[in-house]
Amino acid sequence: MRDVYVAGIGITTFTRLEYPLSEIASYASMMALKDAGVTEVDQVYVANMGSPRVNHQTALASAVVDSLSLMPAGAAAIENGPASGASAIKAGFQAVASGMEDVVLVAGVERMREVNNLEATDFVATLTHPLAEYIYGVTLPAHAAMFTRMYMDRYGVTERHLAMVGVKNQNAALNNVWAHLQQEITLEGILDSPEAMTNNPYVAEPLRFFDACPVSDGGAALVLVSEEKARELGRPMIRITGVGQATDTHAVFEREDPTDLLAVRKAAKDAFAMAGLSPSDVDVAELHDAFTILEIVESEEVGFFPKGEGHIALEKGETALGGSIPINVGGGLKGRGHPVGATGVAQAWEIVTQLRGDGEARQVEGARIGFTCNFGGFGNNVVCLTFVRED
Amino acid sequence: MSVDLEKILRPVDTPMKPYEPKYMLLASGEAVVVRQVERDEIPDLLKHVEPLLHVERDFYDVVAARVYSELLAHYRHRYQDQYVLAVQIDGELAAIVNGRQVTPKLGMSLHTLALRRGLRVGAHAFAAKMEYHIDTLGHDEVLIVAESPIGFRRWMIEYKLEKRFDIPHELGGVPSWALTRELFDRARSSLVVGRRPVPDELLDKAMAAILPPSDPPTPPLDPLAATRSMYDPTATSLMAQRWEMEGRSADA
Amino acid sequence: MAREIYAYKCRLCGTLHYPFRMVCKECKQNDFFEFDTVPLPKAGTLVTWTRVYNLPAQYEVATLGLGIVELENGMRMLGQLEISEPELGMAVIGNVEVVRKEPYDDYYGMVFRAA
Repeated sequence: MRDVYVAGIGITTFTRLEYPLSEIASYASMMALKDAGVTEVDQVYVANMGSPRVNHQTALASAVVDSLSLMPAGAAAIENGPASGASAIKAGFQAVASGMEDVVLVAGVERMREVNNLEATDFVATLTHPLAEYIYGVTLPAHAAMFTRMYMDRYGVTERHLAMVGVKNQNAALNNVWAHLQQEITLEGILDSPEAMTNNPYVAEPLRFFDACPVSDGGAALVLVSEEKARELGRPMIRITGVGQATDTHAVFEREDPTDLLAVRKAAKDAFAMAGLSPSDVDVAELHDAFTILEIVESEEVGFFPKGEGHIALEKGETALGGSIPINVGGGLKGRGHPVGATGVAQAWEIVTQLRGDGEARQVEGARIGFTCNFGGFGNNVVCLTFVRED
Repeated sequence: MSVDLEKILRPVDTPMKPYEPKYMLLASGEAVVVRQVERDEIPDLLKHVEPLLHVERDFYDVVAARVYSELLAHYRHRYQDQYVLAVQIDGELAAIVNGRQVTPKLGMSLHTLALRRGLRVGAHAFAAKMEYHIDTLGHDEVLIVAESPIGFRRWMIEYKLEKRFDIPHELGGVPSWALTRELFDRARSSLVVGRRPVPDELLDKAMAAILPPSDPPTPPLDPLAATRSMYDPTATSLMAQRWEMEGRSADA
Repeated sequence: MAREIYAYKCRLCGTLHYPFRMVCKECKQNDFFEFDTVPLPKAGTLVTWTRVYNLPAQYEVATLGLGIVELENGMRMLGQLEISEPELGMAVIGNVEVVRKEPYDDYYGMVFRAA
């Protein structure tokens, strides 16, 4: 297996983007291609979850490859729910590692705000089990809420811990010009003041408005290359050293212990094993905080903290910038936004930015090893990646 | 004998009990003051409403145009029994709500215009307006319509309004919805907040001047401009866009 | 006629499945039509619950109660709740009713009430 490097990265502002879907993907891709210094690629993978349903467009990769005039490169779209992004990176990794391709463009894109919020909620809910979950009106916030209630009961996580994650990540986004939310929030304003419960109403008890990521449009892209090509291009040598992916039952209630996210645990373990690393080696991590509870749980399942102690580490500030393992310093999904197909690629974009030392106000000093966890379904399809700066 | 036309044209306002100001903290931790705006302060509001006429998103253009005309008509004595409340953060204008009294027992909500987004300022302002109708003026119900989907979701779903479809609302003649005293009492604990009295320092700041909003909604700027300008060191794309917005041509 | 929701029993190893799957999770035998249907019990205890406020566009109610219930036989399922003050561990009893209406179709599922 050949080594695979990230030679170029690109991203669009995450917000409401009133542009055609393929154009959003193309902007991010142009930045990545320009950053890498390449004009020709062998293969394009486009990660996207909703284009046929939300944007009435199919065969998205053909549209993107045409818009970028990359013909006759191979092109395919990858739909894997909210884990589409990292799944596309995995496909690109495999293409380069196998020796089949030398330069692969991976773009993630979503345009969810083409429809209203209620329709967007329904669109994401279609990833649940059609007969045992979806027909009941289950949404992703509902899944996260039921999970949260069990977690609170068993491990002593409180609404304050959830709010702390929300404040940490939304305020971290103020250091990231590409992030969707550019509005500071405080614990007093969303939790403690007499008006807090009205400022921060329930979306699904016990989860509140500021526990959930916003609905965003946006795109992100990477250029993956072989070692030989990476040396030729002369960009910082950032290697993808570990790739892990795991699945779990489609229906959440069917899991032996529904508070265990086994797919996260397995995907992270496999990624670390492949990289020859352990969780304590990681300098900076991007976890999939579509809901605040998920950052706490994933920080345990991937191995940063023992099970049930993620919220204690949060209290101590270990997951903030300057802590022992800074998580989501660019805002995470909560602050940056969550255009579902783009998220996995945007997480990699943030990690590469950090490993290159380009994080500016949010830079983790001396970061050389990064980790991403892209969480699909409600934990039924998870991809973890490790990145190492080599030069 | 000359006829005093102004006397005929100018409506006679019914005396209405003033709204007692209140304050609250937003999600950002900032304190906002909700207070009644007197007629002579209306021009201070108008200059901050006018730019929103050109914001062609989320119905800002429609709502701002109507608010502008309502406030202007109020100022020039061509609108009967209208009141205006302002929400201010550190003096800065954050939202405007207005409405009118139809009869001593019936109110009509006109508009809610939020100039700060993402902090539920509009929701707080709307709740204050309902509080004024039901609690202060003693109306039994308030007739309401929504012009934007955001408004519809907030008012119709959060307050679970009743249908009064036989009554055309003054805004566009569309069927009305009603917030009754009973519905308001049910929503009170979760939706209506605020503390009284307002500390002098906060109130003085609010009364001193209506300052311009620091981050008002703007016309949809090209949202990919930052991406484009990344490789456009002269920032021509941003500049050209700004000129276009200002009505200047790029090659002038 | 009382409606039922079915579990699927593997003809080879007897393992019960809900929801339906094509291949048994336990013995992984790949014969076709290897499940018998067995009605799910209706009584159980509440494992977790939520009240959802932002519902998909099809729903005309303001909030919807949802929960996961551990049934008498140890299997779990998700259902709608008609319970004003749900509590973890409370006893509940289910009934099969319409849980979602689409323009031309009604979907049936389990609705739980306090036992």
